[in-house]
Amino acid sequence: MIPTLFGVLLITFLISHVVPGDAAQLIAGPRATPEIIQRIREEYGLDKPLHIQFFMYISQVLRGDLGKSIRTRRPVGADIRAFFPATFELTTTAMLLAVLFGIPLGVISAVYRDRWPDHLSRVFSVIGVSMPIFWLGLLLLFLFYIRLGILPGPGRISGDPPAHLTGLYLLDSLLTGNWRALGDAALHLVLPAFTLAFAVLARITRMTRSSMLEALGQDYVRTARAKGLMERWVVTRHALRNALIPTLTVIGLSYGELLGGAVATELIYAWPGMTHYVVGSMTSLDFPAVMGVTLVIAIIYITVNLLVDLTYALVDPRIRY
Amino acid sequence: MKRMWLLVGIGILVLGVGSLGADDVLVMGVTAEPETLDPHVTVDNNSWRAIYYCYDRLVEYEGGTTKLRPGLAESWEISDDGLTYTFHLRKGITFIDGTPFNAEAVKFNFERLFAIGKGPAGTFEFIKSVEVVDEYTVKFTLHAPFAPALSAFATDQGCIVSPGVMEHEVNGDWGQDWLAEHTAGTGPFYAAEWIHGMRLVLKRNDNYWGEPAKLAQVELRYVPEPEDLRMLLEKGEIDIAEKLTVDQIKSLKGVPGIRVFEGPSFSCHYIYLNCQRPYLNDVRVRRAISYAIDYEGIVDYIWQGTAVRMEGPVPIGFAEHIPVYQYPYDPDRARALLKEAGYEKGFTLRLMHSPVVPEWRQMAIVVQQNLADIGIKVQIESYAWATLRAKLDKGDFDMSFGYWTPDYADADMFTWFWFYSENWGLPGNRAWYKNEVMDDLVTAQRVETDPEKRQRLFEGIQWLAVSDAPYVYLVQTKYQLPMREWVKGYVYNPMLLNMPNFPDIYIER
Repeated sequence: MIPTLFGVLLITFLISHVVPGDAAQLIAGPRATPEIIQRIREEYGLDKPLHIQFFMYISQVLRGDLGKSIRTRRPVGADIRAFFPATFELTTTAMLLAVLFGIPLGVISAVYRDRWPDHLSRVFSVIGVSMPIFWLGLLLLFLFYIRLGILPGPGRISGDPPAHLTGLYLLDSLLTGNWRALGDAALHLVLPAFTLAFAVLARITRMTRSSMLEALGQDYVRTARAKGLMERWVVTRHALRNALIPTLTVIGLSYGELLGGAVATELIYAWPGMTHYVVGSMTSLDFPAVMGVTLVIAIIYITVNLLVDLTYALVDPRIRY
Repeated sequence: MKRMWLLVGIGILVLGVGSLGADDVLVMGVTAEPETLDPHVTVDNNSWRAIYYCYDRLVEYEGGTTKLRPGLAESWEISDDGLTYTFHLRKGITFIDGTPFNAEAVKFNFERLFAIGKGPAGTFEFIKSVEVVDEYTVKFTLHAPFAPALSAFATDQGCIVSPGVMEHEVNGDWGQDWLAEHTAGTGPFYAAEWIHGMRLVLKRNDNYWGEPAKLAQVELRYVPEPEDLRMLLEKGEIDIAEKLTVDQIKSLKGVPGIRVFEGPSFSCHYIYLNCQRPYLNDVRVRRAISYAIDYEGIVDYIWQGTAVRMEGPVPIGFAEHIPVYQYPYDPDRARALLKEAGYEKGFTLRLMHSPVVPEWRQMAIVVQQNLADIGIKVQIESYAWATLRAKLDKGDFDMSFGYWTPDYADADMFTWFWFYSENWGLPGNRAWYKNEVMDDLVTAQRVETDPEKRQRLFEGIQWLAVSDAPYVYLVQTKYQLPMREWVKGYVYNPMLLNMPNFPDIYIER
């Protein structure tokens, strides 16, 4: 894990520093004198050679300090704490939606292979994989917000947010018993979570379907049926359990992807999340922010995939660590 | 069980569907958040939009004009040699943190500004020293006479911050960390809440020394996607929507309950022709390019009437502007000039733009076509904003799109910065242009204290700037601000772009 993280940091550092452009100039603004620019360069250590800058950065990170954002002028750690809960809430809800709908759809699709439920779910999957999120988001907003008026517009909440405990609005409003905020936040979550879930849902459905098909053709399934088990048990207990491993892998990979790739969804729904923060940082060459976010996403990505590996053992007792 | 979920669902629907805003709360949808709330640190327009109302300045813009009126200073005197500015301050004003406002506070502000030494300090480079004469009199001494000095005090950089911020100082930062998130001024509003990525709430300062604001609260709601802004405005969830695209504004016109304010702006788009590069170092080539461009087509089809063609370097609306020669769209003349310069066979030039301004790409295609007609092949290159700026600063380009908005209401912004040969690169002379006559003219106007003589200098500058053609003067945009009809009292000031007069605005449904 440590070498992986070091590698991630090194690559991000190099990429963000070979881009031509001068962060000091951006901070100073268009009318700044050369002396002002030079002073800023010194303040942020931008005048030092690249390897020294990298060394300085790493030793800072090891002390638990992610540095100070050039653009927002706040500590990167504080920025991430401010923006991360929104992204976490959105992606986790989206992932739950995708799993709750994706796996059953995949199972139904496999069981009814080449019959209409299968065709339907396949059409759905193809749409899901190929529809641009940006367009889907606008379409849903137009329908449910403008036309039907049953769901709220862009934003994370309309009224005042609940008292800050975790930064996750659903959890915070539950814990503080703020039912107005709970309803408000939950409704705001519906469209973005569904938009974000759609593509992953399609992928989970397809993966579940194909591995289910494979499992349903196995000898142990024939044996289970031969000994007269109910079809429902054959499908869920015998086939699905064996077919879940590839699906779990997809879930793990997709979750990391969602965390880092919810940009379009966050943009369309004015969601105050982290991916949007990082895009702003990239265009202004705010490398401490870019590095900090990359580091956090890498840690989460690695952790999630570690967890996924561990759940293999739960699903399949033959796997032991 | 099922019924319970249904009830919960209905409950959520009933509770959650948004309530409409109160009549003394205004919500403005904006596409970018402030970087920081510290006026001595930022030169970012999106930050000014929040900061400006929380402070006052020594002098202020009068309504929608570029004229100046007393602010925190009741009156002022400028010495005959133009070297000292003496301000007489208003008495009995306190900052929102309880600190009294006086000459010491003003002096503290300029000490802080120069000690921090970020972008805003550049605006006040002309100051040599600040002196407290008595409790309510403060004297500024200049390095050299500087005609636009007074208007610099009316900019956001001239906001007067409470010396009380020093109580929040950590590690000698002059309270920068604290002031990035808070405000400490004498202004009609103060920043009450800032949820990053979401909203910034300004509340009325009920102890304001002047006329209190009519609105109790202004919420700047951060909505990065313009399409969302349009929807929210149509639904009436926001009262003012900033920065919509030309198409979106078009579709909003005629929607009941919405009006689109339109006024001239001083925001100019032009092409820098790098005068140090082969071909472009020949004035005949630069003139040929100026003749070859279809200005009317650009205004009508790309800006769709939301801009007017520039007339020389100083924008229309500035007191110093004079009607100068406008190159007509005349490809034949352009070809003749190229022939005269010995480039009959044509050549290739690169043209930079950045996606930051979507219209640049469209204009680049028109320019490419126009120049192809006279035998100049154009390669269009798109760069990230920071990269584009770095290349401009190094002179590493042939031609580039650019835009400029003035910090203070004086033609100095469009002449000394653009044409003085010591300002090559980002400081302003992005055409890397040098003409000794021009250098003399632009430096002379800075120290000329007689307004009439100064105007004559500006006239010379404008003619020479068109004749030497280091830039292609393209368009001056119109400012458009869509809002609900119930927003009353809005007055547009082109010097305060994207900064509505919140203290005077009220809502009448």
